Amino acid sequence: MSLLTVLLFQSPDRAPRRLALEESILAVLAQEPDIAVAAMPPLYDLTDSNADLASLRALTDPLAALAWLYPRAIHWTLHQRGIKGRVGKTQLDRGGESASPKDQTPKDAADAPARMIWSLDLRDGDTAAMHVAEIQRILQEVRTTEPRSLASPPIQNPKSRIQNPPPSRWYPVIDFARCNHCMECIDFCLFGVYGVDDDAHLVVESPDNCKPGCPACSRVCPENAIFFPMHRAPSIAGAPGAGPDARKLDLSELFGAPAAVQLADDERNAALAGAGKETKPKDDLDKLMDALDDAKL
Amino acid sequence: MMGNFAARFPTDRRYTPNHMWLGAQGTAMRFGLSAYAIRLLREIYFLEWSVDAGATVRQKDEIGAVESSKAVAALYAPADGTITRFNADALADPSAINKDGYGAGWLFEMTGNANDAMEPAEYLRYLETSWTKAQALLKGQAA
Repeated sequence: MSLLTVLLFQSPDRAPRRLALEESILAVLAQEPDIAVAAMPPLYDLTDSNADLASLRALTDPLAALAWLYPRAIHWTLHQRGIKGRVGKTQLDRGGESASPKDQTPKDAADAPARMIWSLDLRDGDTAAMHVAEIQRILQEVRTTEPRSLASPPIQNPKSRIQNPPPSRWYPVIDFARCNHCMECIDFCLFGVYGVDDDAHLVVESPDNCKPGCPACSRVCPENAIFFPMHRAPSIAGAPGAGPDARKLDLSELFGAPAAVQLADDERNAALAGAGKETKPKDDLDKLMDALDDAKL
Repeated sequence: MMGNFAARFPTDRRYTPNHMWLGAQGTAMRFGLSAYAIRLLREIYFLEWSVDAGATVRQKDEIGAVESSKAVAALYAPADGTITRFNADALADPSAINKDGYGAGWLFEMTGNANDAMEPAEYLRYLETSWTKAQALLKGQAA
C-alpha cells in the first residue's frame, strides 16, 4: 500500500553519472513503504503504445515524476501522453517558477483531474539525497492533504534497468497553460504536425511527421507555448520563465545567429529540403497573403 | 560603452562582426572571443564544437556552443574556409578563455578569407553602434 507513485524516467543517454544518480534515488525510494516507485524509459521517447502508459492514464492518485527535462517539459509531455493533473509546486526547481499553473485557462483547468503531479528535473540536484528529500517533502504534503492509500500500485519494477531505451523521437510539446490556440503554428508548419480537435483547440496530431532538429514553430509561437525538450537552447527546451529562459540569456544573436523569425524560416526550409521537397520562391499569392498578414486586419 | 570599465582590445589583430579576434598563425588564422564577448558571457564553463577539425565551413554556419554562468550561445563560423585545429586546452578547461582570452584561451585556427574583419578602431566604432541592439537583446530576455 502506498500514498504516492514516483516515476523515474531514465536518461536517454547512458552517461555514467546520470545512471549512478538514478540508481541511488531508486534504491532509497524503494525502501519507503508509502511510495510506489518505478523506473521508466526516457519520457520524451515513449510512444503511445507503451504498456505502462495505459495503466498510468487510469491512475488518478498523486504522482511525482523525475526526468532529465525541465519541470514544464515533464508536466506537458505527460499531459500530451494523456497523463494529466494539476501542477504540484516543488522546491528544487532553481528557476523559481515551476510549471506555471497560475495562468491556466478555465478550460484546461477543467480538463485536468484534481490529482497533483509534481515534476522534478534531475539536473536540479547533484546528489540523490536532494531529490529524495524533495520526494519525502511531497509525500508529507500528500499525507496531510490526501491521506488515501492507492488501491494497487500501477507499476512495480523498482530496480529494473531499462536495457534498450526506445529510439529517440522529435516532436513539439505544447504548454496548454500558455497556448491561446491562435494557430500560428498550424499555418507555419509545412509537415502537418499540428491539427485541430472538435473544440477548435490545437493538438499535436502527427508528432512523428516533425523533422528531427527543427524547432522552427517554437520560435514563431507568440506565447512561447511550444517547446522541444531535447533542444540545446533552454528557451526552446521549456526552461522556466516568462519568455525566453529567465535563468540564462541566449546570446547567440550576438555571435552571428539570425533573428528568430529569420531563423525559423531557415530551419523550416532546411527541414523541407531534407524532406525532399523543393523550397519555392514566394509567388504572387504568397505575397498577397503576407501583405494581408502585415495589415493585421 | 559597457559602463565605465574599459575592455582591452589589442591592436595587433583584427576583429569580426561576431565578436571574435583573429591573428595570423603560420598560414592559418587563429580566432578567439573578444573581450566584449567574454564580458557579456562572464565565466565560461562549457564549450563544445559541432564540427571536426578539417571541416569546410561557410560563414555563419553553426560550429559550436558556449555556456557560461549567465548565458548560452551558439558559435558561428566567422569566415568561409577550413577549420584546421581547435584549442584542446580551452576545450578541456574553458575557463582559459576568461583567464587569457587573447592568448592561451584562443578557440580555433582556420584557413580562408575573413573579408569583413575590422581593424581595432573600426571594431570599437562597431561596438558603439551595435551596443543599443545588444542592450535590447539583453533586456528583452532578462525581463
